[in-house]
Amino acid sequence: MLAFKTAKYLVDKAVEAGDIYSAAAVYQIANIEQRVLLESIMFGKRRDALVLARWEYTPAEVLNAICIRCLGDAAIALRLDRNQNTPAVAISELYDVERRSNNSLTVLIAQHQHTPNKVLEAIVEFSNDIESLKAVSKNPAANTHVLRLLLNRMVNSEMNKVIVKNVAANPSTSGDLLASIYEKGDTTTRVVVLGHVNCPLFLIDLAMTNISSAPLEIQRQLAKDNRLNIEALSYLSVSHDKAVRCGIAANLASPSVIVKRLLNDESHLVKRALATRADLSTASIKRLMIDKDHWVRQWLARNLMVSRKVLESFTTDSHADVRRAVARNKRCSTRLFAVLANDENAWVRSAVAYQKNATKRLLEVLANDADVDVLSGVANNSRTPQWILQKFIASPEADIRRAVILNRKAQRKTLLPLLEDSYYLHRLILVSSAKLKESDKWLLCNDPDFQVRFTAFHYFAKSL
Amino acid sequence: MKILVAVKQVAALDEDFEIRADGKDVDEDFLLYDLNEWDDFSLEEAMKIKESSDAEVEVIVVSVGPDRVDESLRKCLAKGADRAIRVWDEAIQGSDAIAIGQILAAVAKKEAPDMVFAGVQSSDQSYASTGIATAAYLKWPHAAVVADLQYQPGANKAIIRRELEGGMLQEVEINCPAVLTIQLGINKPRYASLRGIKQAAAKPIEEVSLADIGLSAGDVGADSSMSRVRRMYIPAKGRAQMIEGTLAEQAAKIIQIINEFKGA
Repeated sequence: MLAFKTAKYLVDKAVEAGDIYSAAAVYQIANIEQRVLLESIMFGKRRDALVLARWEYTPAEVLNAICIRCLGDAAIALRLDRNQNTPAVAISELYDVERRSNNSLTVLIAQHQHTPNKVLEAIVEFSNDIESLKAVSKNPAANTHVLRLLLNRMVNSEMNKVIVKNVAANPSTSGDLLASIYEKGDTTTRVVVLGHVNCPLFLIDLAMTNISSAPLEIQRQLAKDNRLNIEALSYLSVSHDKAVRCGIAANLASPSVIVKRLLNDESHLVKRALATRADLSTASIKRLMIDKDHWVRQWLARNLMVSRKVLESFTTDSHADVRRAVARNKRCSTRLFAVLANDENAWVRSAVAYQKNATKRLLEVLANDADVDVLSGVANNSRTPQWILQKFIASPEADIRRAVILNRKAQRKTLLPLLEDSYYLHRLILVSSAKLKESDKWLLCNDPDFQVRFTAFHYFAKSL
Repeated sequence: MKILVAVKQVAALDEDFEIRADGKDVDEDFLLYDLNEWDDFSLEEAMKIKESSDAEVEVIVVSVGPDRVDESLRKCLAKGADRAIRVWDEAIQGSDAIAIGQILAAVAKKEAPDMVFAGVQSSDQSYASTGIATAAYLKWPHAAVVADLQYQPGANKAIIRRELEGGMLQEVEINCPAVLTIQLGINKPRYASLRGIKQAAAKPIEEVSLADIGLSAGDVGADSSMSRVRRMYIPAKGRAQMIEGTLAEQAAKIIQIINEFKGA
């Protein structure tokens, strides 16, 4: 077994390194005695504990350990409250300490994604701080019971409207709670309810029943909903409001007769929405491809339903974004790629270079381009021959070298020299490369950059 | 020929920092240290001259500060600087930019470089005067906010362009040797290679005392400085107004606020 394949060896190496990041990376696999050593490295100095408490990559177990060891330190508690990785058990501990003394920290707990519902419930029941209560109303971690408790508590409060709106927008709010909100809600609240992922069908049906008298905001929301019936779709398709018509144009429930009518719409926004539809008829495509608005043509050029003949006509479009859209279309033919590879605009050529279907021959030609974006596309393309990738690893442009690293067909021999790349991010990415051996990556545990060291140690710790 | 590049390890504030007990600075636990951004550009400018010259050019970096400054000096060595000097004595604590300028001038007198580069300012204290103070003590020509430099090593003149307000550039001919404070964007600083970093770890950093450069404790520190920090504090701020409501309501309110500002 390779030496670094044991937890003991890995932890010993991290202790030997003596830096807080390597120690944090292996904490999870350490035994109790080793953890004491690691903690003395990580939390021996207050400034190091502060750094780790704030750092976005600090593992949850380490944050928990910081919480236990440094609970009385308000500056550390603040950072733990803010750190999105802080686990639920630590959040609960922090709340127990902070709830009587510090509203500003309670707000952070109220909005934290890992706050257990029993803590959120306690905040709803006992906190008198309106910011904390608002934070709970927006927290997706809050379950229906907590949200319902909150609404009941705030029913007579001057902040009731704000809380209700927040709950209406909360992705965790259940259908029945949404229905009760809808019943008493104002127009904007009802719009949010109707657009909610959990909005029950009967509310959509109710809104549809009164569609002709519904406020414009509700009509705009309904127009996007593919549960609308044909009568509602038809009614809204002739609305004077372009945002409503736009919603209908993009709505896949809209039948072809409505789509056909909207082709003559005066608004570019409506036609742009039409251009993205996957069910366009040949006649519709023919009508849209000559539209004056280049965004309409651009969306059409990206549309997988258009024929190669249409795509070909777009290769000579006056607007580069339209030509680029052709190059990005999966149905674009090899022949058209060859045309676009000679485009005067580098951004168009770059789209060809990135295309998964570009031929090896074309990529060899594009490898001589002068533009960084084109070369990055070639470097990233899995059809690019290895000899070109090997040439690119010496490029002075970081974007090109990085594209090689991200190329899923780059071989070990190509990637090995990049372990010494001067840009730390490249070395960091290579830690997770499936093409390199573990013995290649082991060197990165001694990297001068702390983020690379952490990532390398963490990788080996997780692989045990 | 030699180019002396004055660099500084600056302190960056962590969020939610605290003020030190004596009220004169931020508590060190909340400070993160790194090489001053401007000095990256002045070092790179020196390296460009070194690499494009047929003559041998030695690039020396110098900094004033305690042990922790070695980390920033090693970064400079990793990027290709030939030597590094650190000046420190506890008596230097509390020195202002003018006093630091005197120290750097003393190093320059000892090293006798052909040019001295410094950054326009440091990102922590922002006095923008250390480089100029150095020139004053040396009695050398100086130019500030240098955005472009045309200089041949050993020449007695250089052509510089200075960045002024409104995007204007001022072209100046300056006698050399001179002190130039270098502006951001004059070049594209390199990343240190891994090999450079490893080699730099083994290179010595020359530690220099005040006596080594002909100064004494009486020349530096808070008492000898022309200015002294009285206090540092976070001023009271007004609370921002949070815009409540659904996204549509927030958007409508923002439009209303903008129109009010525009007088519409």
